[in-house]
Amino acid sequence: MTAALEFRGVTKRFPGVLANDAVDMTVRAGEIHAVVGENGAGKTTLMSILFGLLPADAGHILVNGEPARFASALDAIRAGLGMVHQAFRLFPTLTVADNVVFREEPTRSGLVDRSESIRQVRNVADRYGLAVDPTEVVENLPVGVLQRVEILKALYRDAQILILDEPTAVLTPQERDKLFEVIRLLRDSGRTILFITHKLGEVMALSDRVTVLRDGRSVAHLVTADTSPEEIARHMTGREVDLDRRAPQHSPGQAVLAVSDLGATGEHGRLAVHEASLEVRSGEIVGIAGVAGNGQSELIEVIAGLRAADSGSVHLNGVDITHAEVSARRSSGMAYVPEDRHGVGTSHRASVWANLLMSHQRGPAFQRRGWFNLRAVRKHARSLISAYDIRTGPIGSPVSTLSGGNLQKVVVAREISHGAPLLIAEQPTRGLDIAAIEFIHSRLIQFRNDGGAVLMVSAELSEILALSTRILVMFEGRIVVELDPSQVTEADVGVYMTGAHQEHPDG
Amino acid sequence: MFDQLFDAALLESVVRAMVPILLAALGGMICERAGVFQIAMEGMMLAGAFAAMAGSYLAVSSGLGIVFGVTAGVLISLMLAFGTVSRQGDPIVLGIALNLMALGLTGFLLPQIFGVRGTFRHERIDGLDRLPIPGLSEIPWIGSVLFDQTILGYLAFLLVPAIWLLLFRTPAGLRLRGVGERPLAAESLGVSPTAYKYGAVIASGVLSGLAGTQLALGNLVLFAEGMSAGRGWVAVVAVMLGRAHPFAVFGASLLFAFAEGLGFRLQGNGLPVQITDALPFLVTLIALIAARKRFARLLDLTTGG
Amino acid sequence: MAETQPIQRSGVAARIEAVLSHPVVFSLVFAFALGWVIVYLTGNDPGFAYREMYDGAITGSGLRNTLGRAVPIVGMALAVSVAFRAGVINLGGEGQMVMGGLAGSLVAIYTPGPGEIVIPLAMIVGGLTGALWAMLPAFGQTRLRLPILITSLLLNYVARAVTGYLVRFHFLDDSVTLTSTQQVPQTARMPRLPIFGGVSLSLVLVILAVVVAWVVYRRTVAGYETQMAGFNGRFARYGGIQVERQTVGVMVVAGAIGGVIGTHMIIGDAYRFIDGELVVSGLAWTGLLVALLAANYPPMILVAGLLFSGLQIGGLAMQRNADVSWRLAQVLQALVIVAVASRLAFDLFRRRRRGPTSGELESAGVGEV
Repeated sequence: MTAALEFRGVTKRFPGVLANDAVDMTVRAGEIHAVVGENGAGKTTLMSILFGLLPADAGHILVNGEPARFASALDAIRAGLGMVHQAFRLFPTLTVADNVVFREEPTRSGLVDRSESIRQVRNVADRYGLAVDPTEVVENLPVGVLQRVEILKALYRDAQILILDEPTAVLTPQERDKLFEVIRLLRDSGRTILFITHKLGEVMALSDRVTVLRDGRSVAHLVTADTSPEEIARHMTGREVDLDRRAPQHSPGQAVLAVSDLGATGEHGRLAVHEASLEVRSGEIVGIAGVAGNGQSELIEVIAGLRAADSGSVHLNGVDITHAEVSARRSSGMAYVPEDRHGVGTSHRASVWANLLMSHQRGPAFQRRGWFNLRAVRKHARSLISAYDIRTGPIGSPVSTLSGGNLQKVVVAREISHGAPLLIAEQPTRGLDIAAIEFIHSRLIQFRNDGGAVLMVSAELSEILALSTRILVMFEGRIVVELDPSQVTEADVGVYMTGAHQEHPDG
Repeated sequence: MFDQLFDAALLESVVRAMVPILLAALGGMICERAGVFQIAMEGMMLAGAFAAMAGSYLAVSSGLGIVFGVTAGVLISLMLAFGTVSRQGDPIVLGIALNLMALGLTGFLLPQIFGVRGTFRHERIDGLDRLPIPGLSEIPWIGSVLFDQTILGYLAFLLVPAIWLLLFRTPAGLRLRGVGERPLAAESLGVSPTAYKYGAVIASGVLSGLAGTQLALGNLVLFAEGMSAGRGWVAVVAVMLGRAHPFAVFGASLLFAFAEGLGFRLQGNGLPVQITDALPFLVTLIALIAARKRFARLLDLTTGG
Repeated sequence: MAETQPIQRSGVAARIEAVLSHPVVFSLVFAFALGWVIVYLTGNDPGFAYREMYDGAITGSGLRNTLGRAVPIVGMALAVSVAFRAGVINLGGEGQMVMGGLAGSLVAIYTPGPGEIVIPLAMIVGGLTGALWAMLPAFGQTRLRLPILITSLLLNYVARAVTGYLVRFHFLDDSVTLTSTQQVPQTARMPRLPIFGGVSLSLVLVILAVVVAWVVYRRTVAGYETQMAGFNGRFARYGGIQVERQTVGVMVVAGAIGGVIGTHMIIGDAYRFIDGELVVSGLAWTGLLVALLAANYPPMILVAGLLFSGLQIGGLAMQRNADVSWRLAQVLQALVIVAVASRLAFDLFRRRRRGPTSGELESAGVGEV
């Protein structure tokens, strides 16, 4: 049987990084093949090369036994490849049908034949059980549906080899299971699936065979039925890993943050947060779980002062900060690690020291009557760099030269060094490698042990379960339930995340 | 008082004022849809006006004037496209610099080629003929207003529905809007953002060049330094106010042209020229305030959020 | 990527290449080369024209005039850079200068008293007027969410009309054919210094202002906070910087500098406010180009301001002696910025170009102002 896909010695170099180092991999026709590796192991680069988005420096790729060198995504599509990117590549203001038929539009006398495109999209959707309304505008759809649209795009083009890049990152456990059903159905219809992930449970549940990448190299080729999560993890990290860790708990103290009946409006005037009440006490980590887009980001923005509250109140250490300026909130004891570390948490054009100084710049240690004590500023930067082991050049070099993990360490170091009683940590480890995740988790736990209060939002249920003292689940702008992490599983949390506990049994 | 102000002659001058603004704004709108921030219309229009005058003078032919005007607009649009699309330069900086370059270059070439400063008029400059449509142009009021235009006037009006059809009903329009909204998504389906953005910028070069041609050979038959006089910027605002939708952009252009035409008329009625000259810009500012909810994108673009 | 160079090049060639690989130097060379072509195509001798331009800028009274014209150019560049650096795209320098200039010159013309009082008073009133005019677009952005980029620009045309109207109908000097105010009395004129053949005292003031800006940018919380807001507005807000208040603040400073420079142009240079004169000179826009070339870095603003001033003064000499319009200077200035903004560099033409990676496309945004 010929291989559907074969990588032979594929190598890609970026300035200073060897992203892919002679990668070999064989994907058989009609199988689900998992590609696993940590963030930064070279998975995404490899897929970009396969799909013609990046040229390889060396090596080659065979598709159905034929050497393939795609100059653009179009060549890859024509060769029967379809890719579902991790960050969706959809046009928000266009309809589902327009998104799917884009560039392959059915036409009538030169104009786009809309009813025909709707009909065709509906056909493909029905054939694979992908429930999507082709006439909906994409920006109004929930994340789980967006993914179906992405898959539809590939199937509409009759892709025989489907590449899914971290497809479950934004899904609830229930949505994930539904996706797996679709993937199995696609395999049974003769298609080949390349499934990229860093979650071992998914590899075991879904794949037929596995290729492990580490530091840009293909280090293991395994048959799923003959291996174990521990073995895969060992190949991924090159060491033994304890996969099941939960933070030892700690007894909470006084309430630091008290939010009551908070309401807020999101983008496009949509009601984003509805009568949300919560409390965070010193010495505890409160984890907020929820599907992206259910009001978590807006809730945090309101608490942090970056979005106006429409109703309700926020108290920090007993002080009403509902309508306070950001600077007033910070000086009454709030530190904040934001979700978007590139766009909000740092400025890529500013230097390392300037990034480490932000939110400290008016502190009495660093300035007097508006004039900086530059010596103190530099000392502060250097001490944080060494305490958090931030790998960087001189403190004057731009922060854009730092890796993702080191960039997040800049943010975490800066915020924790405030010594504020409340730390808001939003997606604190998204996209980081295991070492950086462990480091940041240990800092959060230490902060809690030192009597700090932490409000954490995370899309990683494993992170929520591992760190939280209490779990709050948000659905459609409301906090729908409080759970005890020692009493629940990921699936239990997932039930509340989809609103499935409410009157209509399956959303 | 109103009888004296509102008559067919006023409407004629409104339509005359509207043609260049509308042409430039339609080009800016295509760029906006393709995701290119385009504020170089002022310069492209001015260069188009100069080149159209020069072409018409050299060949004693308004046809060649149109060709020259379009060429000048396209040349500047190519510089803009290269800088913003190929080199990913700042569109605001490039737009401002290209506007100033056009101002300097036309001010330089006027004395070097024609030996005059300020304003150049000459009998060799062949203006665009008005082409009254037999029958229709004799309809009272609207006949002389709508059906007695230069070829560029008719073109401007026809382009409004034509561009609407192109943008919202053809595959090319769908792809252009896709490129403007999410270039990466378009690229991953095999549509080249670079090609579409170049296309959009060049189209705006053509249209702004035509706008300048209309100024120098249609509305007047002469070239004066800086004769675009802020109309390119008014076109920028028209695109914003019209949310890059052809019919709304048409409406916004009409509003500004009305202010200009009215100013011209009030001047005749004895109001100081200093006041009437400011009228289109005051109306523009007031329209901005009235429709202020619409500029979130531009504000994000210029303030980083 | 790093190909070995088989042929050893001479030291001079390598050094020329090193200099040319600097984007600003390359852009200057690019602009002058294109200017050469333009002059040649219009039937003149570019070599002769450039020589006249060079001589005219630094010999004879040229040096004094270059220094004199550098005052408004550097000043307006500083005004622009204060705003641009903080991410506020103020294109209203012209209006701020014209409004301040008229207010300041009216004070100088109609206030009796010794120069020691009248001159500072005129500057203060001019600065305040410029600042007030700049507050219109500033509050438009912070209160009404109207982009300063557009409103400040449109207000230039309004400022032209307002000053023109005031001069024509309220402060007209009937004794001359110009649409102009009366002359500024001798006592209220900006003194000249006995160096370089008599440069205005304003030159010292403007250099002082550049130095102050440099120190403030590097050493103060305000300098840091404005810079951070300019780099990334969301980051600044997140860090507790009150970006809206700061926007009004930098607009006030920019407008005040513009108003003072406008006042200087009347009481230190033209001695009467002639309708349209400050607009036609294009000084505010030249200043803007200088700020862009200098990337808002104060020492470079001085250097680039002197360079562009020399271009204009030399351009006038070129116009007299070589029959090539001084407007070539404007073309060259704009071309330099087009080249810099397009990131033209020597290596662009040597290295084989590759398409942008998807990562580069993703990070490509605006925000370089």
